Amino acid sequence: MPASLLYSEQQLITLLKSRESKAFGYLYDHYSAALLGIIMQILKDEPVANDVLQEVFISIWKKIESYDAAKGRLFTWMLNIARNASIDMLRSKAYQNEKKNQGLEGNVDLNIDRQVSALNVDNIGLRKVLEKLKKDYRILLELAYFKGYTHEEIAEIESIPLGTVKTRIRNALIQLRQELK
Amino acid sequence: MNIQEYISCGILESYVLGVATPEEKAEFEKMCAAYPELSAARDAFERKLEEHALHNAISPSGEVKDKIFSEIEIAGERSHFDTLGTELYPNAKAAYDVAESETPIINIGWRYLAVASVILLIVSIGANLYFFRKYKESTNQYNALVSSQTQMVGNYKLIQSKLQEKENTIFMMKDTGMRVIKMLGKNVPTSPFPSSLATVYWDKRTKDVFIMANAMPLPGTDKQYQLWAIVNGQPVDAGVFDVNDPHIRLRMKTIRNAQAFAVTLEKKGGSSKPNMQAMYVMGKV
Repeated sequence: MPASLLYSEQQLITLLKSRESKAFGYLYDHYSAALLGIIMQILKDEPVANDVLQEVFISIWKKIESYDAAKGRLFTWMLNIARNASIDMLRSKAYQNEKKNQGLEGNVDLNIDRQVSALNVDNIGLRKVLEKLKKDYRILLELAYFKGYTHEEIAEIESIPLGTVKTRIRNALIQLRQELK
Repeated sequence: MNIQEYISCGILESYVLGVATPEEKAEFEKMCAAYPELSAARDAFERKLEEHALHNAISPSGEVKDKIFSEIEIAGERSHFDTLGTELYPNAKAAYDVAESETPIINIGWRYLAVASVILLIVSIGANLYFFRKYKESTNQYNALVSSQTQMVGNYKLIQSKLQEKENTIFMMKDTGMRVIKMLGKNVPTSPFPSSLATVYWDKRTKDVFIMANAMPLPGTDKQYQLWAIVNGQPVDAGVFDVNDPHIRLRMKTIRNAQAFAVTLEKKGGSSKPNMQAMYVMGKV
C-alpha cells in the first residue's frame, strides 16, 4: 500500500529514534494488523495474541535504538520481535497450563502429526503457503519457524542427522520463497 | 563460492526469517557487506514478506493501541520528570536535608507507618479494581447463564406439550369407543383437490368430535377449513381447523347425530353456510 505511505521508511526510523510518538502511532496503524497476523499463526488464541501484540509494540518502542538498517528492513526487525515474543509465550508455563486445561496436551514434541494436521485447517499467512510444501518440509518449518526450535533440537526430536535438518530447512525455505511469488 | 549460488542456497531466507544459526548469521552479515547484490536480494525477499504479511493482516482489538500508548506515556513522563527534577532543582536534595534536620520531632516509626499505610492503600485500590472487574465479569456470565436456562425451560415445555398431544392422538386412534369416518376427496366430484384426506373420530359415548387433517393442501393465510356435519340433509357447523400438523388430532364441536361429515374451505373464522364449490372431502358415517 505505497499510496497510503505517509513517511518513507528512512524518515520513519529517524522519527522513531527521536521518540516521536506520532510516528509511533503511524507505525502502529500501519503494521499492527500485519504483526497480529504473524502472532496469530503461532499462538492461534486471539486474546493472548492481542496481549503479545501489546508487549511487542512496547518493546519496539524501547528497543528502537538498537535497530540497524544495515541488517534488514524495519518490518523484518519487528516481525522477528513479534515471532520471538510469540514463541516465548508459547513456551511460558502459564500458557502451557492454560492449553492443558483446555484439554490439549502441553508437550508439543509428542504431537507433531497432530500439529501438522491442525496446520492444514489454518488458512492464514505463511501457514497457507506452507501447506503447499511436502510433509517433511512442513514439519521442519513448523518446528523451526513457528515453534522456534534450534536445528540441534529438531535433529533430536525428529531423530535425523543435524546436516540433514540444515539441508532440508534450506530447501524448504527456497521452496517457500518461490511459493510467495 | 559463487555469489549467485550463495544467494539461492536458502541461507538468505533462513537469515530473514530468523531461523539461521548464529554462525550462519555472522557469515551472512559479512557477505552482505561485501556483495551489494546479496543485500539487494535480501531486501527483495523482505519486501515480499512484508507485502505478504500486510495481505494476511488481522486487525487487533481496539483497546490494544490505548494500552500501549498509556504505558509509553507513563514511562515517557517519568523519565521526563526525572530529568526535569535534576535540571531545575539541582539543590533539592540539599534543601531536603536541611529541612529534615530542622524538623526532628517526627518519630521515625510514624514515618514508616505513614509510608506503609500509603502502600497498603495503593495495593487495596488495585485489589478493589481487580475484584470489581472480576465481579462484573461474573455477573455478566451469570446473566447469560440465566437467560439460556430460561430459554431451555421454554423449549422443554414446548416439547413436552407436543409430546402430550401426540400421546393423546395415539390413545384416541386405539380407542374402540371411537367411530372412524374417513373423508375422501374422491367422494366429492367437484373437489378442488381429489387426493385430499381427513379423518373424523367421533366418540360414540360423549359425542365429542376430533379431526385429523391427514392430507389437506395448505390454505392461503386468509382461509381456513371448516368441518360440517350433515344432519338430515342439512349442513351443521362443526368448527374450523388449521392443518399445521397432520399427525395431531384437533377437537371440534360436539355433534349429537349425523349421517355424514364434509370439509369446505371458507374465509378465516368460518361461514354460517358451506361454500359448496370449495368442498374438499366428504365421508359417510
